[in-house]
Amino acid sequence: MLPTSATYFGISGYIIFWVLFVVAFGLFVQRTYFLFRLMRLGKPENRFDQAWKRFRNMVREVVTQRCSLKSVTRKDLAGIGHAMLFWGFSFFLLSYIIFIGFAGGFGLASVLTGNTFERFFSSILDFAGLFVAIAIIWAAIRRYIVRPARLERSMEAGVIMIMVFCLMVLHFGVDGFGLAAAGTTTYWPPIGGAIARYLMSTTIATSTLTAVYRSLWWLHYALILGFMVYIPRSKHMHILASIFNTMFIPFGQKVVLEPIPMEQQENFGIAKIQDFTWKDILDLYSCAVCGRCNANCPAQLTGKKLAPREVIHNLKEHLLAAGPGLLNVKTETAKDGQATGIIGGVVTEEEIWACTTCGACQEVCPVNIEHVRKLIGFRRNLVMSQSKMPESAQLMLRNMQSRGNPWAGVTSMRLRGDWANEAGVKVLADGESAETIFWAGCTGALVERNVKATLAMAKVFKTAGVDFGVLGDAETCCGDPARRAGYEFQFQIMAEQNIEVFKSHNIKQIVTACPHCYNTLKNEYPKFGGDFKVVHYTEFIADLIKQGKLKLTGDLNSKITYHDPCYLGRYNNIYEQPRQILQSISKAKLLEMERSHNSSFCCGGGGGLMWIEEQPGTTKINQMRLDDALKTGADTVVTACPYCLQMFEESIDHQGIKDKVRAVDLVELVAEATK
Amino acid sequence: MNMIVCVKQVLDPEIPPAKFKIDPETKKVIPPTGVPPVISVFDERAVEAACRLKDKNKGKITVISMGTAKAADVVRHAISMGADDGFVLEDPAFENLDSFGTAYVLAKAIQKIGTYDLVLCGRQAADWGAGQVGSILAEILGIPVVTFACNIEAVEKTLKIKRLVKDGFELVEAPMPSLVTVSSEIGLPRLPGGMGLMMARRKIIPTWKAADIGAEAAKLDKANAHSEITGLSIPARKSECEIITGATPAEAAGNLASKIISLT
Repeated sequence: MLPTSATYFGISGYIIFWVLFVVAFGLFVQRTYFLFRLMRLGKPENRFDQAWKRFRNMVREVVTQRCSLKSVTRKDLAGIGHAMLFWGFSFFLLSYIIFIGFAGGFGLASVLTGNTFERFFSSILDFAGLFVAIAIIWAAIRRYIVRPARLERSMEAGVIMIMVFCLMVLHFGVDGFGLAAAGTTTYWPPIGGAIARYLMSTTIATSTLTAVYRSLWWLHYALILGFMVYIPRSKHMHILASIFNTMFIPFGQKVVLEPIPMEQQENFGIAKIQDFTWKDILDLYSCAVCGRCNANCPAQLTGKKLAPREVIHNLKEHLLAAGPGLLNVKTETAKDGQATGIIGGVVTEEEIWACTTCGACQEVCPVNIEHVRKLIGFRRNLVMSQSKMPESAQLMLRNMQSRGNPWAGVTSMRLRGDWANEAGVKVLADGESAETIFWAGCTGALVERNVKATLAMAKVFKTAGVDFGVLGDAETCCGDPARRAGYEFQFQIMAEQNIEVFKSHNIKQIVTACPHCYNTLKNEYPKFGGDFKVVHYTEFIADLIKQGKLKLTGDLNSKITYHDPCYLGRYNNIYEQPRQILQSISKAKLLEMERSHNSSFCCGGGGGLMWIEEQPGTTKINQMRLDDALKTGADTVVTACPYCLQMFEESIDHQGIKDKVRAVDLVELVAEATK
Repeated sequence: MNMIVCVKQVLDPEIPPAKFKIDPETKKVIPPTGVPPVISVFDERAVEAACRLKDKNKGKITVISMGTAKAADVVRHAISMGADDGFVLEDPAFENLDSFGTAYVLAKAIQKIGTYDLVLCGRQAADWGAGQVGSILAEILGIPVVTFACNIEAVEKTLKIKRLVKDGFELVEAPMPSLVTVSSEIGLPRLPGGMGLMMARRKIIPTWKAADIGAEAAKLDKANAHSEITGLSIPARKSECEIITGATPAEAAGNLASKIISLT
């Protein structure tokens, strides 16, 4: 008999049960509905396509706990604890529904309990409870004794740990006292059974056992309800929100940036809550403040003001504070009046301009928050609505506008088409068709150091007998630096112009040298009508080797490490081709840096920061990355991105260790190794 | 408030020095291929000044540029920043004019446009840097001129202008219409918005020939020029490098400072 079938002070246990439930559930619904309404303040965004794929992704991420396990490293095992908690608690959730809800609330105890199913289930539950309790103790030790830098010590975290721990203790107590009071002799749940056996061996009267059992049962029930009420009112709303967030992820692209209609005259980017899309707001709800983003952010790790965890958390606090006011006013203009600006108050300009858009935060985020596009949204507002940006950013943008490239003329001693003349390659005449072109990119065409890599590329192409054309001085910037710096219009104009040029030459395939061009041409041009086959040179060369068109001498005898460029790796999942190429060049085994593949650490040059001055911090990003490379003992740092190459060379120069280590572009090694 | 801004298209001042070539025979600069010419930086500031006045006082900005057909690009650039209309003045007779001839052509075009409250020019052109056209143009138009402006405000029918002088600045007032030449100190020109960029692409930029503006052939005749280029050469660049050292960075900085002082 469950305690609900008894009467208390003349009131039926069932009535008490349901009154408590209705009150708690009401509070739960009230809050979640409020959060839902806040979410609807955001702009529409279509994330409802491919529903089945979305659902599958949710299952893959959440049920298997890939979300938290993916970031487990030797140094940070916390993800395992989360998975233990999740799986353990999932069983409890099920047990609450079956054995408290149905058995207790609907009086179905006689049907649901006392059978083999219950015995098995309660036994599993006992182990799950142990699992959860261990995970909680582990979490408490981590959070309050070990104190890893990525965690903040918040009240909310403590509250939830105590709550869950109490739920587990009460579970065992209810089990033990319940079994003892009922005088059950078959002890299926091992821990509850052991407690019951102990209690029955004492002289405690059955009536006392029953009274304690009932008290514990009601306390347990009340705590479960309290848990339900508390969850959406704390950062633990991530339990609800993140499930949906894993469904509404962007497919195919790391950072989805929406084009802006050229006719739009004001309100660019994000300045207030209503400028976000609903998905951005769901992102805020999903954040559990775990700080993995901070622990991987190059800006944060080098002492800049930007901390992605704080950006998201502060935005959520701002949303929850400003939300009720926004919901109370009816008209859009009144809403605009109500909304206080985000930039300056909630997120500072320094934070906004410190982001390299490397995507490390998003890669490691267990709940799929899209940090980067929010920061670019703020940049859009600063640049296009407020004309506020670092002077170095403005210079770069003005260069792109009047000169078609982000490099001011004087940094370069050459003109755009010079390299093509030096390499003796075919520059396409107006209207001349070409199946494949090699896109050198601004940096590869204009900056002396990078031109060497471009010339190496031409040599490799020729050796392999590839028929290709180049655009020479008709090539302009792909627009990436403008887009990342928030000057969307300039990007769109460049995209449209370039697409027109590609079409005028009937181009089918574009091989790019720069991962930034690659990402832009491949992932962002299709939205402007540019559907071409875009390949990065590492893919192209790996293919040439596979087809036997390119024969390389494999006798390079250097200690090599490879730096994964963000826009090649994280943005486009190209990790293996560069390594395959290195294998066919080098005798020695590749030395991997501790941060490699998808946890690669930015060189500091992405997101327009190649031109925008790096803010003061404890160190420079490229210095920190060079240290990573040096730790491997390598004497050659290989990369496949012109920015990374410059960044490494600059930091090698800065440390004065040119005689010990060199930075090269992968294609330079390939060119050296051609037979 | 009706404003007319005169802009010039020049060779990109940021091209690598090694790529800068001249033909001493014809006394002309040979433009390198693949580098688009740009708006003269000072003229871009003049457009910015006009846009700021338009932001505050409403009005219309008309841009004129004398040059080749390509000059339409710089007119479009000005339109993308906020100008409303633009014309290119192109005619074989306009080639190789000196400052007086240029000012005459611009004056004729401005008279054709008709009404205006303010004419703006850059303080000088970024290529030849003579800095004469603005003043001569004002003379021909018969209006006051204020040079080296770093701030312009319009209060009813009066212009309040802050102008640079060697050791500070002057605040002057001028009636409308006047001609003002703008200095870089006015601040960085704006980045064009989407609307501006679109307008600039769509706008039809008419070309005016000598006959369209009623320019007299005699005035454009070389024989009547006030100046003549007698020779053109690239200055020889000489550079010496000396590393200034010191036991501490502070000492090195001190040594550097004394060196600079000794050189000036």
